[in-house]
Amino acid sequence: MKNQNIVLVGNPNVGKTSLFNRLTKLNQKVGNYPGITVEKREGSLNANGKTYHIIDLPGTYTLFPNSLDEEIVFKILSEKENKHYPDLAIVVAEPASINRSVILYQQIRELGVPAVFVINMMDELGSKGIQIDFDQLEFYLKTKVYKTNARSGKGLDKLIADLELIPPPFFSTFNINNVYWDAMEEAKKVFPLATEYLTWQYLAQEEVSHLDNDKKQALEKIRTKYNLNISEMQKAESLARHDTVNKAMEAIIIKSQNKNLNTTSKIDRLLLHPVLGYIIFYGLLFLIFQAIFSWSGPFMDWIDNSFATLTAYLANIIPEGPLASLFIEGIVAGIGGIVIFIPQIVILFLFISLMEESGYMSRVVFLMDRWLKPFGLNGKSVIPLMSGAACAIPAVMAARNIENPKERLLTMLVTPFMTCSARLPIYIVIIGLIIPDQSFFGINLQGITLFLLYLLGIFGALGSALILNKIIKSVRSSYLIFELPTYKFPDWKNVLTNVWDKASGFLFEAGKIILMISIVLWVLGNFGPTRDFYNAENIVVENNPTLPEEELSQVVASYQLEHSFLGYIGMGIEPLVRPLGYDWKMGIGLIASFAAREVFVGTMAVVYSLGGDIDIEDDGQKRTLLTRMNAEINNNTGKPAYNFASGISLLLFYAFAMQCMATIGVVRKETGSWKWTLIQTLFMTGLAYVAALIAYQILK
Amino acid sequence: MIFFKTAKQFIRMQQNNSLDKLKIGEIVKIHSIQTSDIPAKFYELGFYPGSVIEIKHKAPFDGPICVNILENNSLIAVRVSEAKLIITEII
Repeated sequence: MKNQNIVLVGNPNVGKTSLFNRLTKLNQKVGNYPGITVEKREGSLNANGKTYHIIDLPGTYTLFPNSLDEEIVFKILSEKENKHYPDLAIVVAEPASINRSVILYQQIRELGVPAVFVINMMDELGSKGIQIDFDQLEFYLKTKVYKTNARSGKGLDKLIADLELIPPPFFSTFNINNVYWDAMEEAKKVFPLATEYLTWQYLAQEEVSHLDNDKKQALEKIRTKYNLNISEMQKAESLARHDTVNKAMEAIIIKSQNKNLNTTSKIDRLLLHPVLGYIIFYGLLFLIFQAIFSWSGPFMDWIDNSFATLTAYLANIIPEGPLASLFIEGIVAGIGGIVIFIPQIVILFLFISLMEESGYMSRVVFLMDRWLKPFGLNGKSVIPLMSGAACAIPAVMAARNIENPKERLLTMLVTPFMTCSARLPIYIVIIGLIIPDQSFFGINLQGITLFLLYLLGIFGALGSALILNKIIKSVRSSYLIFELPTYKFPDWKNVLTNVWDKASGFLFEAGKIILMISIVLWVLGNFGPTRDFYNAENIVVENNPTLPEEELSQVVASYQLEHSFLGYIGMGIEPLVRPLGYDWKMGIGLIASFAAREVFVGTMAVVYSLGGDIDIEDDGQKRTLLTRMNAEINNNTGKPAYNFASGISLLLFYAFAMQCMATIGVVRKETGSWKWTLIQTLFMTGLAYVAALIAYQILK
Repeated sequence: MIFFKTAKQFIRMQQNNSLDKLKIGEIVKIHSIQTSDIPAKFYELGFYPGSVIEIKHKAPFDGPICVNILENNSLIAVRVSEAKLIITEII
């Protein structure tokens, strides 16, 4: 069947995603390209009596890749064996920057891919002061030119109806400097079947990952022989194309004053103001934080209660036994532990996609680059770092659009230091234990401690970036160049699909790992190596014959945990955590929270025989837990287990340690390397240990 | 005549400032780019010899510089470290 596979290609900010959403009618899915973590958006369109498969390729200015995202664009457009190799490319442009899109269009045609040209955002033609001679443009591009407005859907019917048409042949317009001719002749022998332009692309790229080694070596030999400089070749092409396209377009496009840019300039005068710009940005950050913490509250409570009701209901209807316990306390509770983060992730990504859609995000990059550069990061690191304050998992994923490999790696390595929402329950409990609820000069001491812990997260991230920046060698020199798009009203469809993609991605991807760990933890906590574990009830009754009925089960649970695998592991690591001021019970909490930090509170509740379902938001229950923890004596020191010294030590440990399996999983996936994942885990946990040790030894 | 020509060139040289030295609102033409280390992406986004640009915004404390590439009417930002290598001429 002809024109089965269709790809959308275009510069960033031309409304390509809106067009994709329109064409597929949201009949789409988001995944990853095999082997790399570039987001793959594909969907289907039923029209003309058949089903088209449509891929929305990442936005790019050129076929020469500068980032992982752009590599995939070249791969799909050039690799004929690829199952996504397009029968037709739809090159999407917007009125103001047609020249740039024409260059991309020419490159695609010269690779041998048939293409049509779409000018989207046609509604802005007037306000951008642009007149286009469409017949001339069609003649010049040797293809159909469509006028669309993806937001209103205008012009799409025509585009869809014409999808069966095959564009006429296209012959190259690109004249390359004669210094490259000899090298090209030789390269053509290596790729007898490729178009000349594709051969040129192979020659002028640093490394084409999908070529086999023989071909790569042959290319490298030619580059050495002719002393070719890749960057110079790409620039030569860029110059040659700019020159011809600009000349040709002079007759086709007439520009007068761009009113949109005027509006954008006015807004930018405020948002990029050296003082006001920062105040507005921090104000917005504050609002986002506020939203993540307070707006999500009711939703999280609701999810929590629903799961509590569900567990209670299941416990009622399923006959008791180890399998029921695994299902209810392991799996259902595990899923509950994942779902509870959805409100925060939704709110965070709602803000992030609004910022991206409106064009504000690049302004943030503009404002922040100066302050992040000294740490080896770049302006684009702001987004992952900010997101890290909610959850490191989507935050690490957000580092994808950083071009420089080193800066991207650094960003991913330090993002988990940011105080994520899972640390919050632990901070609240421990601060409640060791910091008096008093005001000092009108400032609540507990509040200020919490604030300091957030600052500590930021310092942890930036400080380690500084250290790692010295250690990691840079492959490419650091640079930053980015476009500040004109301001637009966000397209709600894009915002909502983006939020849905991110939330469901977290739910299913990270969820798998969290669920697995919950099950492992459940097994470790519910089975023991000795008979003490299984005879817990008899032993407890024997030792405390007078214990009332309702306390009995809790004491039994506590006794069981003590003699479970988890309990023994806790005791096993006690020598390790003793210098930090913890006893084996806290050791259990630490071990358990290596799966996910938020497990700590629940585990401590079980250890102290209060039953696992402690709701830290519920004041009564919180007080019970706090009272119980306050009364706890550390057997090693004979002092309260949660005194000021051990409390601070715990806080520091939780602030720095990598205690989240899901993050480890995501970092492994995103870095593609176990080496960096392990370095990160060891670095963070090592730092946590040393900080906690020093704090405890000084304060005790 | 030859002298005159070089003198004119001399004067022009004096007017060639690197991008980071310009003030907001100045409209200039890119004369040359001093190093080959600058990635091709700069060319593709409009920083190539002959391109006409207007300085639009500067982030404080030597932060990024945002210019309008007049050919596309697009706002592109670069760091000072790269702006130093972009030589402009007055038009």
